[in-house]
Amino acid sequence: MTEHADIQAPGLQLGEAPPRIPVTVEGALAALAMGTLAVITFANVLVRYFTSISFAFTEEYSVAIMVVLAFLGTAAAFAADRHIRMTFFTERLPVRTARGIEIGLLLVSLVLFAAIGWLGALYTWDEYRFESLSAGLGVPQWLYTVWMPVLSAVIVLRIAGRMVRVARAP
Amino acid sequence: MILEGSAILLLAFFGLLFLGAPIGVALGASGILVIGIEGLGIMALPTNVWTGIAKYPLLALPMFVLAGMVFERSGVAKRLVDFAAAIVGPRRGGLAIVSVLVCMVLGGISGSGAADAAAVAAVMLPPMLRQGYPRAYTASLVAAAGSTAVLIPPSIPFIVYAVLVPGVSVPALFIGGMIPGILAGLSLLVPAVWLARRGGFGLPAADEARIPLWQAFKGAIWGLAAPVVILGGLRSGAFTPTEAAVVAVFYGFFVGLVIYRTLTWRDIYAVLRDSAEVSAVVLIIVALATIFAHAGSTLGAFDALAQSLIGMTSNPTVMLLLITVLVLVAGMLIDAISIFLVFLPILLPIANTFGWDLTWFGVILTMNVAIGAFTPPMAVNLMVTCRVAGCSMESTVPWVLWFVAAMLGALLLVTFVPELVLFLPRMSGAL
Repeated sequence: MTEHADIQAPGLQLGEAPPRIPVTVEGALAALAMGTLAVITFANVLVRYFTSISFAFTEEYSVAIMVVLAFLGTAAAFAADRHIRMTFFTERLPVRTARGIEIGLLLVSLVLFAAIGWLGALYTWDEYRFESLSAGLGVPQWLYTVWMPVLSAVIVLRIAGRMVRVARAP
Repeated sequence: MILEGSAILLLAFFGLLFLGAPIGVALGASGILVIGIEGLGIMALPTNVWTGIAKYPLLALPMFVLAGMVFERSGVAKRLVDFAAAIVGPRRGGLAIVSVLVCMVLGGISGSGAADAAAVAAVMLPPMLRQGYPRAYTASLVAAAGSTAVLIPPSIPFIVYAVLVPGVSVPALFIGGMIPGILAGLSLLVPAVWLARRGGFGLPAADEARIPLWQAFKGAIWGLAAPVVILGGLRSGAFTPTEAAVVAVFYGFFVGLVIYRTLTWRDIYAVLRDSAEVSAVVLIIVALATIFAHAGSTLGAFDALAQSLIGMTSNPTVMLLLITVLVLVAGMLIDAISIFLVFLPILLPIANTFGWDLTWFGVILTMNVAIGAFTPPMAVNLMVTCRVAGCSMESTVPWVLWFVAAMLGALLLVTFVPELVLFLPRMSGAL
């Protein structure tokens, strides 16, 4: 089985270099998040079956881990260009034009995630200031939401990195 | 303001989409643009994005993606293929039939059409190429067959639908989806075999080794048992969908590590990493779609659409066909979950006006989305199988349109004979 066989794109080839910081970092963290999710959920099933105790309250953690997983995987997918997209038209353009469009689109993506990161930071700051607690466990809410701006920053860096690589492609 | 805002929203979305922006980015950026221009309140955005994916029922999504991938890597798909091939026997178009059958069984393990299609495409592509099936044909067929996964339980769109629609239960939807799912899969066999005959490909070589039926069955039994475990657990109420998924994950690891001994620890890491990325790519679309949905619903663009739909006709059949077209087109653009989030507020009042059964309504909506998921040019499933097969999406058009037509036939049957959906849940007492 080749790596990522199911999500590898032959689609748009712009001839850029691979990322200098390999995506194994995000990949490993996302794998860890996925493993944790599976173990927590499975442990929940086992505990509920063999004892009468339920630790369903862990679902608050699980849901937060899932959001972290989504942002980590998004960063890795940006670096390696594995997001679901339609390259039907750009594949037919001269590679120079396609690169120009790609850089423009990456800029749009960068602005989008910068906005999410910035607004997410303001949101987290409010949660911190007003000391809001989570509904289930009473954990300070900012401990969950802080991952949105932090990981948006990672995504922004990955997008910027790919912009530079596409611009420098021979 | 409604008209102007809606126009900007749609133009920006389609513009970005056609230029090749990731779907999530197209949704999020067009939403943010309209929120900015029309002053709709930007501060709701992070809450929307967060709560868009921080939902417990959605946890079933990464779990079913993981389950599907564990089963694929543990060699279950391969053994199911051997078993199905032993049943079908050496005939023209035989491997095409096998692909459809295996997609349907795997649809009973993973709830995602794209993951299902990817797994089967990876296994079926080499033997199908050897028998002369064109790449584009294989990509089309597997994308179409894989889309039945959202109808055959477990199905993530059904879970989301049940969460959004009061009075509809997950077991009723799951059981109700079975016959339509099977019909949808079987409908594909007609064009699959006919196209193979017409094109003169898909004939197995005479000397090809065959695996005896019993031996193939013994290999496949562990995989065949998985849908039974999942469905049985759900039906008996023993598991929530997320729990059923995680049980399937660990069952898959057990089969791969202990029974088949095909998985290594390195494989397990790769499975976790890859399924995390695949889940993330879908989840981020769901998250960013909330920005688009927020812009659209705050503007009233969706309400305006609902009102004009109701105003258009009082004939239930015409309305049903209108909705079919609407959801089908939407299904080509976005995933089922986003469609439900965006369209259900519009469609539910209409369904209530006409007194339609909401379980049946959920099944036909999902069937619509399933067809949209492999209708070019923006079909998610087709994108995935084209990537595996290494062909362009446009090359699939002469093939895939036949499959679209076949499944549309099945859809019309289910649309006009609601008992096909309702009689199983009623019989089993789930309704």
